[in-house]
Amino acid sequence: MEDKTALRARDFWTSLILIAVSAFFLWRTTDIPLFGTVTAGVSAAWYNSAALVPYGVFGMMLICSLGLLAISIKDGGAERALHGAGVGWERSEVIRMGCIAVILFFYIFALVPRVDFILASALLISTLIYGFHDGHTGRMKLAATVFAAAGLYALVMHFPSSEWAKPHDDDWVTLALWAGFTIFTLVRHSDEQAVRIAPVMAILVPLILVLAMAFGFRQNVPNRSGLIFKQIEYHYYVTLKPLWAK
Amino acid sequence: MEFFFTQISGFWGALVHLASDPVTYPYLIGSVFLGIVFGALPGLTATLAVTILTGFFGNKFPLEQSLIALIGAYVGAIYGGSYPSILLNIPGTAASAATAMDGHPLAKQGRGGEALGMTTTASFIGTLIGTMFLLVFVWLLLMISKNIASPEKALLALFGILLSGTLMSKDVVIKGWISGLIGLAMAMVGLDPILSETRYVFGWSYLMSGFQVVPVLMGAFAVPQIMDGMRAAGSIGQKVDVGKIVPRVATVMKRFPTIARSGVIGTGIGALPGVGEDVAGWVSYGVGKTVCKDGKDFGKGSINGLLSAEAANNAAIGGALIPLLVLGIPGSPPAAALLGALKINNVIPGPTIDPQLILHVVAILVMASCTMAIMGLLTARVFINVLRIPQTIFLPVVMVLTTIGSFSVGGGINDLYLMLGVGFVAYAMNAMHYPIAPLVIGVILGPLFDETFRRSLLISDGDLSTFWTRPGAAILLCLNVALILSQLPIFKRAFGRLTGRGS
Repeated sequence: MEDKTALRARDFWTSLILIAVSAFFLWRTTDIPLFGTVTAGVSAAWYNSAALVPYGVFGMMLICSLGLLAISIKDGGAERALHGAGVGWERSEVIRMGCIAVILFFYIFALVPRVDFILASALLISTLIYGFHDGHTGRMKLAATVFAAAGLYALVMHFPSSEWAKPHDDDWVTLALWAGFTIFTLVRHSDEQAVRIAPVMAILVPLILVLAMAFGFRQNVPNRSGLIFKQIEYHYYVTLKPLWAK
Repeated sequence: MEFFFTQISGFWGALVHLASDPVTYPYLIGSVFLGIVFGALPGLTATLAVTILTGFFGNKFPLEQSLIALIGAYVGAIYGGSYPSILLNIPGTAASAATAMDGHPLAKQGRGGEALGMTTTASFIGTLIGTMFLLVFVWLLLMISKNIASPEKALLALFGILLSGTLMSKDVVIKGWISGLIGLAMAMVGLDPILSETRYVFGWSYLMSGFQVVPVLMGAFAVPQIMDGMRAAGSIGQKVDVGKIVPRVATVMKRFPTIARSGVIGTGIGALPGVGEDVAGWVSYGVGKTVCKDGKDFGKGSINGLLSAEAANNAAIGGALIPLLVLGIPGSPPAAALLGALKINNVIPGPTIDPQLILHVVAILVMASCTMAIMGLLTARVFINVLRIPQTIFLPVVMVLTTIGSFSVGGGINDLYLMLGVGFVAYAMNAMHYPIAPLVIGVILGPLFDETFRRSLLISDGDLSTFWTRPGAAILLCLNVALILSQLPIFKRAFGRLTGRGS
């Protein structure tokens, strides 16, 4: 059973954040006209204003946040939060969450827009399986560092969206990191079944998914000009398709 | 009675049409199989199964085939959760948490096969009971809903968010309400539905069209699941042997009253807006414990206890679809994902919904439950083997699936940014015991509430009495007020004193 006071200590901080957020959005709502506006040729009274419901929603959120603050203070959460006993998070859990957050952040914000989807996903699968399968914080940190290196390179070298579709040194960096990481894990932990499975899954899963989405479902896939997908697409249309088109 | 036979005849036509189309079967078998696998893997939920398939099938296939895939996965996943509950004492989905209470003791007594067989049968019958209620009640409610105007719609949307917030809260109820309000606040982003005034876009043109439903669903349900599930999983599990699975007809007939009662309870609970299969399972389990002769044995390996939970959670599927189809208010979190799929196919549930679509949904539910029963009884060993896969192996794959599914729905890379942002917020909320379902229901119902609330005032020239002078609106207003007051400590104490239970 989780420590109730620790939960209330977290509630104390959350309620303060929620109060600040509610107040901020109530202030932002003042930008939306409430009385006697004319928008797109339509005149609106207060009861038809676009600000009416947001005032109600953020007003209610403010009241509920104050209620939560009162509950947390009454149950001893504020005392615990302010006297250094902390909010009850374990260090190992913070490291685990931090590493996952770093990997997901760089995957979505750095690699998926800029790097070939198959390569980015292969690195994601390999690092997540290796880093988190046995629960060692050292492995989590290594996995997050390798992934962050690939992400940082792509982010720093090709930040503007105009560079996302250009030929790619970041694809090669990701590929090299994935290959190096995979060889390292296989050499060091060849006795672990999960580590042996990871490279197979890392290649097959994104490859099958991308092929199914692009050529089966005829859907857009991320970064069509990526290192591997560009070759697949070229050979699909230039080498393979003419065979059955004839 | 004539009305009933008309419905049965319409349903039969839809069922024959569906059953005679060979295209139905690959979708049905594939989606039910995938659903059972999702349900069986602890860490993956029914909501996640429907959400991920929404990304893949939502707007890329004809609506009928999309619905087969989504409903098939929904039915399969609710049932699939019973496998780890019974065999490992780990509920595969929240809906099957009550199943573990008696299912696992039965497995420990060497009766795992019997428990799985009875669970499969109860889930099948439970789904059919829910479907039957859906077939009959959806039409009655549709007739009533034709008299529903903007004030009722606004109050109903509010009631759905409030009720979901109240019943889904595991900690203090105010957290459920805050979650619903966050969802409502997210729905305010973009162009407002009446005057096209921009709200909270912060110069980002992507936000002009508001938060898209699919990335919000993926973020709210998939990302926290992945973040929470990536923990030390140990080695790949050992093979489990359960013995004979197919139950005897006489045993099923003997337990039929329990299954039927639980089915009716599950349907009723499922029909409440935003309240999912897990609540249905627990309520039915509680009722079963009170009314069954062997109630004192519940929790020690009672077949009646197992059936009470399992028939109810599957029956809740049919119940959850009643408010979804009639009012556009999802009865459960997976139904919210289903609503997302309907919306991106430009189907607006409510009084104007195509009656044929409802008959198709009912026919799909029946076929999906038959497929589930056949698979459950004949290929259970395949799903038992699935339990051996640790979640640290399959969750990275789910992340890739989620990413490509969310990307391909339409919004591209911005949808992924939104998905991850919502995911991080939802994870933090989960960690602090805020329920996520009210947030998603708030996002889905927010635009409806905003539009109908303001339209009510516009029509009445700002006269607030429009919310209590109409009989339907007055009832709904009373329900909303009563729901809020019933949770306030001062009223709880007063009620306790009145009933003589207060201190």
